[in-house]
Amino acid sequence: MSKFKKGGKKGAPGVNTSSLPDIVFMLLFFFMVATTTKDADPTVEVTQPTGVRAEDMTPFKQRSEIDFLYLGVPRNKSRIESFDMGYALFLDNVAQPSPGDLYNVNAVRRWKLNKFDEKPDRMKQPLKEVITCVKADEQAPTGIIFDIRKELQEIEALKLAYAVKDNGNY
Amino acid sequence: MAKRDIPEINAGSMADIAFLLLIFFLVTTTMDRDKAYVRPIPKKVETPIPPPDVQERDICAIVANSANQLMVRGEFVEDPDDISDLVLEFFRTNEKLTSAETAQYAMDPAYSGFEFPFYNRFGIGEIEQKIQKTTKEAEEVENTPDADPALIEYFWSKVSEWEKKKSALKLYGRAELPEISPQSHIRIEVQIKTGYEYFAKIQSEIEEALFELRDEAAQKIWGYGYGRIITRLGNEPADKEFLAKKGLLELLYPARIIEVTPKK
Repeated sequence: MSKFKKGGKKGAPGVNTSSLPDIVFMLLFFFMVATTTKDADPTVEVTQPTGVRAEDMTPFKQRSEIDFLYLGVPRNKSRIESFDMGYALFLDNVAQPSPGDLYNVNAVRRWKLNKFDEKPDRMKQPLKEVITCVKADEQAPTGIIFDIRKELQEIEALKLAYAVKDNGNY
Repeated sequence: MAKRDIPEINAGSMADIAFLLLIFFLVTTTMDRDKAYVRPIPKKVETPIPPPDVQERDICAIVANSANQLMVRGEFVEDPDDISDLVLEFFRTNEKLTSAETAQYAMDPAYSGFEFPFYNRFGIGEIEQKIQKTTKEAEEVENTPDADPALIEYFWSKVSEWEKKKSALKLYGRAELPEISPQSHIRIEVQIKTGYEYFAKIQSEIEEALFELRDEAAQKIWGYGYGRIITRLGNEPADKEFLAKKGLLELLYPARIIEVTPKK
């Protein structure tokens, strides 16, 4: 007669996984908060130059007070020749038929106005206040940026931002 | 009747659902923030007004040509990192002069800082006088029959400019408020083929110089840096106290940048 059971089937005890959802939810919430969704993958190649002390555009993105345009060499090399100096514009959220299309500078005006018109009234800021952020390739000729600037001046969208890669924090 | 247990809901699949969402956000997250230099575009003018006469010493011209060579105030710069130092020199050379010294040196071509912008210093008495004077002028314009509303607004904006200086001086806590020559500006001149890299570098260097100037002033006045003011306003954009502080620093070291449209 012994108090200790001997023999019998001894399986490994199951690990309690009831806290698994908690852990997963924690991760989930972290990523949900940290995420800002990207509008589109540009079909032009852009390597941004580096800079310091640049302003963070996230608050403007959250209030959708900013439009992005990309300036770089088209990924589809056969199309390079149809653009001014070989550099094409990729506009985010275009109101044109196919979203992957590339444009010359003259499309900026319509794009900007279309985007402005599409916004619901309660979110509308005066066009003057909506930032246009140019993400240009480091090799891109600055002349094109000044062409964009001139187009924006014509429609009185008077805020332009030059994007850089900034690894610093403050 | 037998006691009936409330059946428990099987939560085993909750983890699966959470995982699914987690993976979606994992894939769509981009951690890098968009950073940029925001610059105003000047309004288009129908009839070009002849530009006002600006003295050579009030201009800090930064030039980049199509071969990506850089020039600051007429001298070649080998290392682009040196631009910020030259911008600092532009702001700092005559900053510490007293009113009497400024009056004397501004006429003296032999003085070493003659080629740099001079500062005006306003005491509280002078600011009060200016407020009274501009208010009187504005009222006069307002009382003339058929006055142009734009003109009235212009005159009142002059008044509020001085009012702003008054509160800035109070916040500054010194006897005098230094202000760099109102025509002084930084001018960026590029050519059409200049690489964006260099244009961005110039902007970056200017921003670095301005940050250093403002940071130093903030440290001196309040004992903490300009970075803290910006961070605070990032979290709390309507904080009056910090807005006023930022306003003062921007009055002391204004970012007047002119980007010249390239012609060739």
